[in-house]
Amino acid sequence: MKIFKRLGVVACLFFIASCETLETKQEAFPSFYDENQNPVSMVIVPAINETAAADAGQLVSATLAQPFADNGYYVVPLPIVTQIFQSEGILDGQQALGLPGELFRNAFGADTVLYVTIDQWETNYIVLAANVTVGMSYVLRSTATDEVLWSYRAQQVVDTSADSSGFILADIIMTAVQTAVTDYLPIAYQVNSMAVATLPYGKYHPLVGTDGETGVISTRLKEEAINELSQ
Amino acid sequence: MNTKSLLLVLTLSVLGACTNVSQGGYYWGAYSPTYFEMVKNPSEETSSRRLEALTDIIDTSIEKGLRVPPGVYAERAMMYLEKDETLAMADFQAEISSYPEAQPFIERIVSRYTNQ
Repeated sequence: MKIFKRLGVVACLFFIASCETLETKQEAFPSFYDENQNPVSMVIVPAINETAAADAGQLVSATLAQPFADNGYYVVPLPIVTQIFQSEGILDGQQALGLPGELFRNAFGADTVLYVTIDQWETNYIVLAANVTVGMSYVLRSTATDEVLWSYRAQQVVDTSADSSGFILADIIMTAVQTAVTDYLPIAYQVNSMAVATLPYGKYHPLVGTDGETGVISTRLKEEAINELSQ
Repeated sequence: MNTKSLLLVLTLSVLGACTNVSQGGYYWGAYSPTYFEMVKNPSEETSSRRLEALTDIIDTSIEKGLRVPPGVYAERAMMYLEKDETLAMADFQAEISSYPEAQPFIERIVSRYTNQ
């Protein structure tokens, strides 16, 4: 009996290992630990919105500067980036996607460009309950070589059901009304922090250079983000 | 993790307990809410609230001995640019002294403005 149990554990571990390859931050994103590259500054281009929610792009763009700055990077101020882009006729991230890194290097003096794709932003209603799903892909590219330095995909599902009022119809209406745009924002923040947790600390973070061995980076999520962007 | 970084973490968590300092060591005040407001509803009122929030971040950070978060001086400089050039240039300069990486794009903005 005992041997079966043990075999079961081994089989389970084997199963988990076969679908998730995990790496350390340094293995997954080596350029951050290379003194010759070591990116410091980033331009965040307006988020690419692949969902039906019209204002998701603008809202998500506004959540990005803070978590990346907090991770130790110099983020070129978003209102200024937006203004310069608009004067060049670039209104959304999709248009910025085709531009060579060199252009961002010349215009902003930035080492890297961050592309964010919103691929999920939806509410699923199940009679009395609702849940909101937000999924985003992040790709950070070098402006010198156009090489991908960091990428990750993160997703969060949150139950947003209203308190039951005792009247089924009222509950359904409540549920529908309660999933307003503002409900997505805290979730967007959570998705950002899930993704940023896999990004090596930058120059302005007190722990820069100490996190190479930490963090378990899912190779699948790292690659999914790149696929999402090239679609 | 070495003792130096452990000490830093400890210092940051102590700081965090009294002034809402983020894990990166910044005080962000009303940075995000005022930005959303401005994006969703651009008006005199929302941009003056934005200016207030930026000033609060700068003043509180200085008071607490923290580095002002990236972009905050530069953004306030942009808001000052139309009204008071001296204040604007001082803020642009402060952004560059805090973050040398900002120099290229700030020089670009300033030269664009003075060539108008």
